[in-house]
Amino acid sequence: MKRVISGNKAVAYGVMLSRVQVISAYPITPQTTIVEELSRFCAEGKMEAKFIKVESEHSAMASIIASSVTGSRSFTATSSHGLAFMHEMLHWAAGARLPIVLVNVNRAMGPGWNIWTDQADSLSQRDTGWIQLYCEDNQEVLDTIIQAFRIAETVNLPVMVVLDAFFLSHTSEVVEIPHQEEVDGFLPRFEPQLRLNPDDPRAYYGMISPNYYMEFRYKMQRTMEETVEVARSVDEKFGHHFGRTHGLIEPYLCEDADVVMVTSGTVTSTSRVVIEQLREDGLKVGLLKMKMFRPFPMKEIKGVLKGVEKVGVIDRNISFGHGGIFAQEIRSTFCNEDQRPMVFGFVMGLGGRDVTPEAVEEAIRYTLDNPSPKEEVIWIDLKR
Amino acid sequence: MASKITYASEMEMPFSPVSSGDMSWNRTGTWRYIRPKYEDKTPPCNAACPAGIDIPMFIGLVGEGRYDEAWNVIREENPFPGVCGRVCFHPCESHCNRADYDEVIAINALERFVADQAPPLEAGSPVRGRREERVAVVGSGPSGLSCAYHLAKMGYQVIIFESLPQPGGILRVGIPSYRLPKDILDKEIADIQAYGVEIKTNARLGGDLSFGDLEEYEAIFLATGAHVSRKLSIPGEDLEGVGSGLDLLRDINLGKTVHIGRKVAVIGGGNTALDAARAVLRLGGIPVIVYRRSREEMPAFDEEVSEALEEGIKIQYLTGPTEIIGTNGRATQLECIKIELGGEDETGRRRPVPIPDSNFTMEVDTVIVAAGEEPDLTFLPEDIRVEGKMVSIDKGARTSEKGIFAGGDMASLDRTVAHAIGFGKRAAISIDCLIKKRDVNSVLQGVQVGENGILSMAKYLSEVTRRRSPHVVAFEDLNLDYFEHAERNERVKLPVSERIRDFREVSAGLTDGQALKEGERCFSCGVCNGCENCSIFCPDLSVITDGGVVKYRINYDYCKGCGICIAECPNNALSIEKEAK
Repeated sequence: MKRVISGNKAVAYGVMLSRVQVISAYPITPQTTIVEELSRFCAEGKMEAKFIKVESEHSAMASIIASSVTGSRSFTATSSHGLAFMHEMLHWAAGARLPIVLVNVNRAMGPGWNIWTDQADSLSQRDTGWIQLYCEDNQEVLDTIIQAFRIAETVNLPVMVVLDAFFLSHTSEVVEIPHQEEVDGFLPRFEPQLRLNPDDPRAYYGMISPNYYMEFRYKMQRTMEETVEVARSVDEKFGHHFGRTHGLIEPYLCEDADVVMVTSGTVTSTSRVVIEQLREDGLKVGLLKMKMFRPFPMKEIKGVLKGVEKVGVIDRNISFGHGGIFAQEIRSTFCNEDQRPMVFGFVMGLGGRDVTPEAVEEAIRYTLDNPSPKEEVIWIDLKR
Repeated sequence: MASKITYASEMEMPFSPVSSGDMSWNRTGTWRYIRPKYEDKTPPCNAACPAGIDIPMFIGLVGEGRYDEAWNVIREENPFPGVCGRVCFHPCESHCNRADYDEVIAINALERFVADQAPPLEAGSPVRGRREERVAVVGSGPSGLSCAYHLAKMGYQVIIFESLPQPGGILRVGIPSYRLPKDILDKEIADIQAYGVEIKTNARLGGDLSFGDLEEYEAIFLATGAHVSRKLSIPGEDLEGVGSGLDLLRDINLGKTVHIGRKVAVIGGGNTALDAARAVLRLGGIPVIVYRRSREEMPAFDEEVSEALEEGIKIQYLTGPTEIIGTNGRATQLECIKIELGGEDETGRRRPVPIPDSNFTMEVDTVIVAAGEEPDLTFLPEDIRVEGKMVSIDKGARTSEKGIFAGGDMASLDRTVAHAIGFGKRAAISIDCLIKKRDVNSVLQGVQVGENGILSMAKYLSEVTRRRSPHVVAFEDLNLDYFEHAERNERVKLPVSERIRDFREVSAGLTDGQALKEGERCFSCGVCNGCENCSIFCPDLSVITDGGVVKYRINYDYCKGCGICIAECPNNALSIEKEAK
């Protein structure tokens, strides 16, 4: 069934079709309509889920950590400061190896207060042990939610599905909503390996001495490494069921490119149009869309970018004192390689400023025109 | 139990830090070092009630609309909710913790409300197993009836001897019907008779009946009250037109024709004086109360003084009568002297000191003396000890003669209906102890409410009762976060113009809606009322709320002693103690 829906509605449909059993969330702009839609689904009986009202995001995550331990498929959504408030519990969910799915609608961190899109919130949670998947459009949002549960329940790690504030959350476009039976065929019931059960009392998440703590961390890292392949395979199976895939990364016109632009989120769509136009002008420019940020799919990235002369990375985020975070990750991917591209780090679109085709073109032409970046961080469309 | 597992490599380890074995041996309650427990405490109202009514319990039931159960709760201690709900001086309300929050609970009005809902009991109401022992009660006032009631419910054969033609004692002949309508009294006496209490009227001990006639009884309870009016000891007291307040009220209450003049001086400041003045007003006279101290010292209940003033009755304070002057043997003038107050006397009140040469006279047709009452003890055998014009009794209401008990106004200066009812209960327990050969002193100690000698019949009779600590709950003990401010629900009183036409009842009862609202206002100090806060807040799901005498209990297998249940209990119905390790 095709419907014209916003990104937030796509989230809600994805959650409903995934037969989530427990939802706990605290409203925050621009995530609010997700919570509204889900609570309506619950109230109308469209979902057989327990909706737990809470007084904060910290409690929201704490609640679904608890429900997840009992073996219930559990979901929450938040944004910006709400995600920051969850920070402690994010470590908890990952350390406890719980297959929770969280949607974060990318929003800038204050102050100054700003409700528009920016990746600072989710990228600040980079090291919590969560899988992170960034979406480009509303169809990808819906599909990624369904995939996320399957990935999470396979690897026992939580997944954060990320979409841009307003550009996706509140913008409507055509989305194919699959039938429940189709989704049921793809996403079976959650059968946890460990489940809190009063009939078989175990001690969960107690004290671990230095003697063994490291081994648990090692296992998380190993699992993260394996997750790249798991996610790829889940996407492939999704393709068999639904006839579309999204990839972990998506190269576009990269084969012969002299310059490849690396993007994430909705900037990808804009960049795609610009690159198509520049190709018509004869410029050898390609695009690499980053969907998966954690685990960082280094092998796949190398496969695309190895041999490319120059790579421009567009970051809608800034790690103060260093630069754009995607740019850092791309650089570190290649630092031990003999053959490595020159990486140009562009920062643009912070706090929801439009990333216009002109801005993207400026970045591409800068990369084409300069043998190496003149600055570590290249600010585009900045008033100075 | 725990066993140490050694892993050689991460491959052997689970993916998440979860115990590999059953952990049911480790009930986490072992972490506790303090232990919460449900412990009802003593509500201040209950501790202040001479009749010992479990007030929060009955009010809680009113708040839930369970009026018949509320009635039963009151009647476990007191057979006169309808009477007390009208005439009690309600010390419970003076001690109510709600005073510090907004306004005290209208306990007295609620008691009346409950009584007014109750249908009459049927004769032959069940008692706790019939016993053959017979007990004689002398006097059918509140004390005698209360004692008879409790004994009859215990199964004893009880007979009351009453000197007057109708039962009720002071309730019948001392209190006018604008405060206590006769049908209310009749109903509650009939409810007592429903348990098999026999009442013989016109049977005066010392007259038709002698002490010898009572020898066949297992025990005797003397409760003949205080019906002798104290004299003023001033010239002219024997003149025509001079009478006592008690006589006036008795004649009115027994339906006799009374003759009073237009201008009536009522001398005294107690309830009898006030009642006499208000009765005079209703009979068409113009009463003036002459009292030698000021309003503060008046022994009459404040509410009654207020109502008298509302009705336009004049009170001449700081005035002492010195002589009643007559013409042709009839009182025509009252001479008085003005008084100022000196230092405190032995009763704690300021001593009246006449001001020299301040004498004046007032015109009177009638003088009514109501300057206090004393018991008539002339019928007592000599071997019953008397002290200070009263029968001398011990804590168990025992006189110096074995098997003879006494109480009420004849044995105490606490001369209120509620105290008399409490005395009756005390005597009933004591008589039961005598017959069952129990040590009454330790029994009484065990059934005390608070520390002022208030007794609980419910405690005395039941084998399993909830432990109730003697700690009287203070305002600071409550968690006020759970209470909303709410106005007290007041009884409606008749307008003065209607009141004074006849002896109709002045106060109307609370309405159904008022009673429910008033019931919900109660703090339920120290008494669990099942609000479930403890259960809602317990982070370990360790509050178990499944009925029984003790409504809630704690699952100590998992309780970690965090104390949230105690902090969040609005009523102070939980306590904490150190964990015994």
